[in-house]
Amino acid sequence: MNLVKSHDTHQESGEDNADALSQYLSFQIKGESYAIGILSIREIIQYGRVTSVPMMPDFIHGVINLRGAVVPVIDLARRFGKSATQINRRTCVVLIELPNEGGENETQLLGLLVDTVNEVVDIPPEAVLPPPAFGSRIRSDFILGMGKLADDFIIVLNVPRILSRGDMEWVNQLDHSALKADAN
Amino acid sequence: MSLSDALPTFLAEARGLLEAMETALGVLDGNPNDTGAINSLFRAAHTIKGSAGLFGLDHIVDFTHEMESVLDRVRDGALSLNSSRIELMLLCRDHIDRLLEVVEIGSEPDEALLTQGEELTARLRQDLPASAASPSDPIHWAPVTGDDPVRNLGSDPTEGDTLWHLSLRFGRDVLRHGMDPLSFIHYLNTLGEVRQVYTVTDALPPAEEMDPESCYLGFEIRLHSEADKQCIEDVFDFVREESQIRILPPGAHFPQFLALMQAVPEDNHRLGEILVGCGAITERELEHMLDAQARQKSDASPTSAPRLGEALVQEERIQPELVGAALRRQQEVRRRQAQESRLLRVRADKLDSLIDLVGELVIAGAGLQAQVQGQGDTALHESAQEIARLVDGIRDGAMNLRLVEIGETFSRFGRVVRDVSRETGKDIALRIEGAETELDKTVVERLADPLTHLVRNAIDHGIESPEIRQARSKPSQGQLHLGARHEAGSVVIEIMDDGGGLDRERILAKAKERGLLPSDAEPDDAEVWNLIFEPGFSTAQSVSNLSGRGVGMDVVKQAIDALRGGIEIESSPGQGSTFRIRLPLSLAIIDGFRVSVSGNEYVVPLDMVLECMEMPRDLTEGETPHLNLRGDVLPLLPLGAFFGLPKASVTRRNIVVVQWGGRSAGLLVDELQGQLQAVIKPLGPLFKGLPGISGSTILGSGEVALVLDVPGLLERVVSVDSASYLQ
Amino acid sequence: MECRLIQQDRRGSFVLEGELTIHHALDMKQALLSVLAQSESIEISLAGVTEMDTAGAQLLLMIKRAAEEQGVALRLKDHTSAVRTVVETMQLAGTLGDPMLIPGEAADGDHP
Repeated sequence: MNLVKSHDTHQESGEDNADALSQYLSFQIKGESYAIGILSIREIIQYGRVTSVPMMPDFIHGVINLRGAVVPVIDLARRFGKSATQINRRTCVVLIELPNEGGENETQLLGLLVDTVNEVVDIPPEAVLPPPAFGSRIRSDFILGMGKLADDFIIVLNVPRILSRGDMEWVNQLDHSALKADAN
Repeated sequence: MSLSDALPTFLAEARGLLEAMETALGVLDGNPNDTGAINSLFRAAHTIKGSAGLFGLDHIVDFTHEMESVLDRVRDGALSLNSSRIELMLLCRDHIDRLLEVVEIGSEPDEALLTQGEELTARLRQDLPASAASPSDPIHWAPVTGDDPVRNLGSDPTEGDTLWHLSLRFGRDVLRHGMDPLSFIHYLNTLGEVRQVYTVTDALPPAEEMDPESCYLGFEIRLHSEADKQCIEDVFDFVREESQIRILPPGAHFPQFLALMQAVPEDNHRLGEILVGCGAITERELEHMLDAQARQKSDASPTSAPRLGEALVQEERIQPELVGAALRRQQEVRRRQAQESRLLRVRADKLDSLIDLVGELVIAGAGLQAQVQGQGDTALHESAQEIARLVDGIRDGAMNLRLVEIGETFSRFGRVVRDVSRETGKDIALRIEGAETELDKTVVERLADPLTHLVRNAIDHGIESPEIRQARSKPSQGQLHLGARHEAGSVVIEIMDDGGGLDRERILAKAKERGLLPSDAEPDDAEVWNLIFEPGFSTAQSVSNLSGRGVGMDVVKQAIDALRGGIEIESSPGQGSTFRIRLPLSLAIIDGFRVSVSGNEYVVPLDMVLECMEMPRDLTEGETPHLNLRGDVLPLLPLGAFFGLPKASVTRRNIVVVQWGGRSAGLLVDELQGQLQAVIKPLGPLFKGLPGISGSTILGSGEVALVLDVPGLLERVVSVDSASYLQ
Repeated sequence: MECRLIQQDRRGSFVLEGELTIHHALDMKQALLSVLAQSESIEISLAGVTEMDTAGAQLLLMIKRAAEEQGVALRLKDHTSAVRTVVETMQLAGTLGDPMLIPGEAADGDHP
């Protein structure tokens, strides 16, 4: 199936990681539950001081200092087309490691801003259903599948797709519009 | 260590010498009489020959020997290094390189390589007199003394180089002791063949005074022998005490001695030891000389005793050439040892991790400073100040470790210019200035490709063919100038040609055709020139195989932007173009100036800050953003508005005057927060191309602050300014 | 074996016999020098020289030089192979200046 396949490309052996493969971190954004496979998650930190970067798309929340490394933080709510995340005590940054596009062995560290982190859930591969063609609350291409829990469905996110650079590099376009705005 | 273990060292060393050759040839191309370069060229060929001999790489020895012979004549002033000889030397250099490759893979030169070697040898021999072109060494055997009995031998000059010369002055009593000089001469024939004998009768006294039982005769003997000096010396064991025995090695042994001199262990750099080591003199001779020297020193004032080399020549124990060569070798060893003690090879990654640590230290230091500020403890404050001062020093020292001279990169272009101008049939002289200018190692490395592109571009598109140049009444030889210098906290690198200059009309036409400009636009020159940095923009009408390989000027610009630098062009039709690259001195850690705008902190590289001031009260916003600064009109950039930040309510705002590359502007900010050391952290691919921001740094508080891209901002100011001006 | 210088006649002809070596050098020096006073023109045959060494060669050089100084014409002749070997080895033919008769192989019988 879709999910297993996509993980297999990242992991050397499906066997050894069988347990990890079916484990997902669930979290909440604007009252909705989402899940990400735990293999790509590096750590979860409490929301700290974020420096905003001007002239970036609104879903680029800013950058944080992670033990000396400067890491961008993405506001998933904004990325899903909702209003900006309201920061509170329970706000977390989920740090994930993605293979760098183009780079062979390089990885890129990114933070995802979420309202609250729930738990690690176990969803066996056969319980992950293909994404619905329509009717979901977020873009269907952001969805990897629908995870079937005991009495509910959870949206398993297609993280690489959400953070795909082709989509996010707005900088140059913004650059020109910012200039025009300024010049006028 | 066996020889085969040393082979990689030989190969590495030889490659280094080939590089030195290339550099020297590059210098000589511009200045054929540069004796330093000629000497280093000769030394390189010579040393390669010597070491190759040690490894029994005869084909390399033979080939470099020819090269060395020609260079020797150049050194003596008998030949000049014209461009065709430089050309030939470059080819020879390449040939040696290929021979080394063959050695490296443990194989033998193939037919083609051998043929090439023969062709080159033939060309080299055209520059040699007939006798020296023989495989024997060109170093001539020179008479030792002014009144030289050797000359009386009337020796065959070509054979002379292969013969030992023995100068025998037997003691007066040898005959009484039952030894006959004649038998020594006969015995020498068992070691080889006595070719010539000249009996020296000068010492024979008038008949009345002569003691017929004494020996008054001396002999000058030319001996052909394969035996070594020690072996020949041993013949005279029984008479040595009372006689003067001088054994001069054949001239043909010189290359062997010279090669062996190179092999004398480097820790062994006393002249005598070098000479003994290569077999030019024997241990006994050395001891004798040193004893004599010691005696003379104790007898007379120390300065009057002749030096070992002089004494050896005076006593006819060795030819002056060998002493000269040994002295050169001695100096070489000393110089290398001196250099080695000055230079230390360090792995780049070790250095990088040190710099990283220093970066952390700087950040931690800033954190400490911030904490101490809040305390009222004076002693603590002073300690923190002291630590800050030391951290400063460590930072500067660490950054200095990364600085390298740009000259090495520049000198590579000698070859590029030579090759490309040959391919294009152009005659181009390369002039290099400021090769000693230092800049960050990473910058130098990443600059190599853009520079190569610009140099090729200047030759290919800039400088015209000799015919066109003549038609335009310019000298047919084109000039290409590569220069580097430090200028106000930055490094400026210029690539200047005296070619046709950029074609404004063609660039404009193309830009309009591509929709980069509206069809009625009339931009100024600088803007037109900047168009060539647009992706895919190339003005070459025909794509040559040199430039125009798909790598365009946009890549050059990108590479320079990535180094937080800038590039500008000056060009005038018919007179040529100048590409001026401006780069920050260092990439990793900078001195910064902290400002805040609408609650956000930004860092301006301090070396680009001219001055700071409060915003004049009479300057209200909404006005034309200009400031009259002591009579100069300074464009203002309201940073908050530019970044689209919400306006903060500040009572009094401030202006930071920045400059870069001859432009300046005022940045309108809220608060000035003072200086800091900023460790530059890249922002990552997500923020690529972000205008006005070049990177980030971590403040003492742990917070991230963005570093302003002053060159980028200045560009905006100008373009925004001209855009609003047009409207 | 001894070495002797024998006067052949009154016109200055002498014959040198025996071993012209270090062993007889002292005597031979005097003998040779004494003949110079006898005539303006002297001829010494070396036909009887069976052995010669460096000392002998030195004596020949000495007497040649002394003769020249005193204005006496001294000619050495009849070089035996023993003499010739030395003269050739030391390449003294030019210095001594006397024509040396170089016999063919067959005549070279008296070489030791």
